[in-house]
Amino acid sequence: MKSLAGYVAEIARIEQDIADIGEAALSVPEDTERLTKYVYRRYQKAAISGDLRALAGVEALIDRAIPLLANPGDLYLLKANLAFKFHRLADVGAALASVEAMYDSRECRMIRADLDFQHGRYEEAKRAYCDVLDAEQTWDGLARLAHFNFKMGDAEGADRLYAEAEDLLTAKQMRSYAWLEVQRGLLDFMQGRYDQARDHYDHAEAAYPGYWLVGEHVAELLGAQGRHGEAAAILERVAAAVDRPDLEQALGELYDLKGDAEIAHFWKQKALAAYLQSAQDGHVHFYHHLADYYVDVAEDGAEAVKWARMDLGLRENFSTQSALAWALHRDGKMSEALCWIDRALSSGAVEAKLFFQAGAIYMASGDEAGGRTLAERARSLNPTVDHFHIHH
Amino acid sequence: MADHNDPNSVNSIFSDIDVSAADLYDIFGFPSDDASGGEKVVIALTFASVPEAGVFDQDMLYRILIAPDRRIVRPGKEDHSLAGLLTYLDGVKNKYLSTLKPSEVRVTIDRDNRAHIRFFNFPGGAFSAVVDANQSVTLQSPGGHAIKAFIGGRDDAFFNDLPGFFRSINYAPQFYHVPHSREDVRELKIPKTLLELEGNDLFNYDPNLPEWGYSLKKDLPQGPLTWSGDRFKKDENGNFRFVYSGEDARAGQNCNAIILELPLAFLTDAPNDHRIVNTWGESWVLKAANKIETIPDDPFWIEHPHVLIDAWTLDDELKKYKLVDTDGQAFADAALSEREDNRQMGANNFWLAPHFVKRLGHLGWGFGPSISALGLASAFDHDNSSVSVHRTYSWVAEAFPRVKKVLFQELNMPDESWNKKGLPIPLRRPIDIFIPNVNSIDMDTTGTWPFGRRLEDQVATRFLSMFLDMTAMLNGKKYHIELLNDPALWNSAPIVPKTPPNPVANDKAFLPVFPYLAEPW
Repeated sequence: MKSLAGYVAEIARIEQDIADIGEAALSVPEDTERLTKYVYRRYQKAAISGDLRALAGVEALIDRAIPLLANPGDLYLLKANLAFKFHRLADVGAALASVEAMYDSRECRMIRADLDFQHGRYEEAKRAYCDVLDAEQTWDGLARLAHFNFKMGDAEGADRLYAEAEDLLTAKQMRSYAWLEVQRGLLDFMQGRYDQARDHYDHAEAAYPGYWLVGEHVAELLGAQGRHGEAAAILERVAAAVDRPDLEQALGELYDLKGDAEIAHFWKQKALAAYLQSAQDGHVHFYHHLADYYVDVAEDGAEAVKWARMDLGLRENFSTQSALAWALHRDGKMSEALCWIDRALSSGAVEAKLFFQAGAIYMASGDEAGGRTLAERARSLNPTVDHFHIHH
Repeated sequence: MADHNDPNSVNSIFSDIDVSAADLYDIFGFPSDDASGGEKVVIALTFASVPEAGVFDQDMLYRILIAPDRRIVRPGKEDHSLAGLLTYLDGVKNKYLSTLKPSEVRVTIDRDNRAHIRFFNFPGGAFSAVVDANQSVTLQSPGGHAIKAFIGGRDDAFFNDLPGFFRSINYAPQFYHVPHSREDVRELKIPKTLLELEGNDLFNYDPNLPEWGYSLKKDLPQGPLTWSGDRFKKDENGNFRFVYSGEDARAGQNCNAIILELPLAFLTDAPNDHRIVNTWGESWVLKAANKIETIPDDPFWIEHPHVLIDAWTLDDELKKYKLVDTDGQAFADAALSEREDNRQMGANNFWLAPHFVKRLGHLGWGFGPSISALGLASAFDHDNSSVSVHRTYSWVAEAFPRVKKVLFQELNMPDESWNKKGLPIPLRRPIDIFIPNVNSIDMDTTGTWPFGRRLEDQVATRFLSMFLDMTAMLNGKKYHIELLNDPALWNSAPIVPKTPPNPVANDKAFLPVFPYLAEPW
């Protein structure tokens, strides 16, 4: 398999574009396309490199640029995407509503469908994905439907859709191809099929070398295979390049598994500090990580419940419902935990982790038979459901 | 839930694909004037010079399809009803899908910018060669036919007032910054027209901004993007204002090209019978999966044959590529298809025939009244409307009576020079020309459009002539396809500027010998 110019080359190209256009594009907005391109390139660089701080900076840039444009529709769309990355779903809706004329464009309909999914309106989400795809087959539309199908238990169908999405991509879109390969690898990983997952990750690396996203998933796979040292080494490299506390938490968990408690403690504390700082700064996108952290790492039920409730306040879906149930279970509030996990189970979602946690909650609530059934279902979906994984 | 891994993070708002080497410009085709060694046909496929003129994109694959055939003999009494039209289209479809088995010239470029050229399924033999780019070479087929080939950078042979055409169809992205997400505001809902509309400030020429639509764009204004007037614009002298300038928007620009001069005897076993050489071009780009030499285990096209109409005919190499663009007949895509829609149909555009009729009806309501206002006769039935009208059709049956004459009228030639042998060759009609979307080169003619396409043909202006009533007379002569290209017509018309719509000649002289297209700039 030959190697291609990848992540580093693309980032360099984007940086060159940014330098060529320059911040002056904002001060003399004679050229709308130049200004839009500048903002988009800044967004693209932050998004591709996974730099959440830079993304926050781009949001301020968008807010500066919008009043300079007579038709800021594309920037509102960018703003909506950015708000989505930060889990500020109300802001997503507000950005989309700001430009009435583009509300029914393909891009807006897709984001609105994503919103439906995040708010647990599954049928609406699926219908919207399918409607948009009926009008035009696009790789990102197929990827969205694949993601939906996997969450609803159709892993085979999801993989087929990802493959269809890949078939729409050309040699000029290798990053997108690598992204899809990572998703296909993740599908396999979440079914315990580690060899197949590794094949997809290797394809992704060959297609677009140096992409930290691939490294993150390879590290997760190695961690699940018990190769904690190798996993930690890779993840440390990724964490050094990408400022992401969730990866630091994963490093902490890996070092715990490796038996290096002191290093593990360092990474976990670093992650927690960053999560809390983010929340203190008014950001909401680490709420679910805080819930995960307190329930699984710190084993502090009360704190976990607090953050899980806050996350659920943003978006109520099977994932936030089960996270709250899991936190309540940790906090010993079994009756309420049972109530929330039943709500999550009634969503129609089919996910090993969901059934695994539901089984534990049922058993802790005294329903051993129900709990066993759920646990067996979890293992039938993913025999390695309790292995190491990163909280993506 | 995969919060940082969900599909929302795929960043697909804007296309990351810049101007592409897959963008086909034109396919020229005409009988060679050089008859030494037997009849030969010249075919030139031109496309965007990306990364630069004379340097090729290694991810691309170009095909030139060639299907020699007999000249169609038109029945004495043709059925010009809608049912007749549909029967005709069905016949064309069957012919192209089952009867004609096109031969193919396939070109890819390697890392050293050398062209790999392969000839498939030719009666004169199949063979391949590797040639240097930007060099004229002569290849020998297994049967001993000498084939000239040039694969390299050239001056773009297309000469055209593209902004004028875009102004005529109120195509906003040429004049305004249109947000990527606003596909609904590309062709604005304003009548198509050859003459400026009174009060159409969204598109009318602004003397204070002469570069507008050429090198300058404005911000798309707020408010209704429509027109509510009721007449063509006239100046204080009573002159209409032409939407065209006659200037060459492609002046000084290059293309990359595949230029071939092929003996007819190499293309067909029956050169005396097969007097028509049908040809069209295709651009394909390597699929991502194949960029890393990994073919998906379960290629989805096998399960979804609708994606590529002719998927079952694709060979193993083509399965690794994605069809991006096709080119057969000038303006078949740009004017007669919804812009940016189904450009991959190519010769298979009979699938779009109902749309073609509706689109022609839509254009006719714009161009027909413009022609009438100039005192010329139009073949489009616009109920003597005094001004262009914005009208679209949902049903073919509704549009057909309006466009029937346009579709079936013979396009007169300006003189007999095209018919170099004086044979009883029927004049071509729009229905023959645009469906299927191929360049049909008549070897018994000079190959001037619509009997092929010569480099010097002003096809954009000839395209407009199909809305003229070819039974009408001017100065004792029937209307013809060069009428609108005649400066004298415009000099005497109540219009400014007094110019044919498009430039009458290329900015750089063509060469008298192979490869015919001029050196690049």
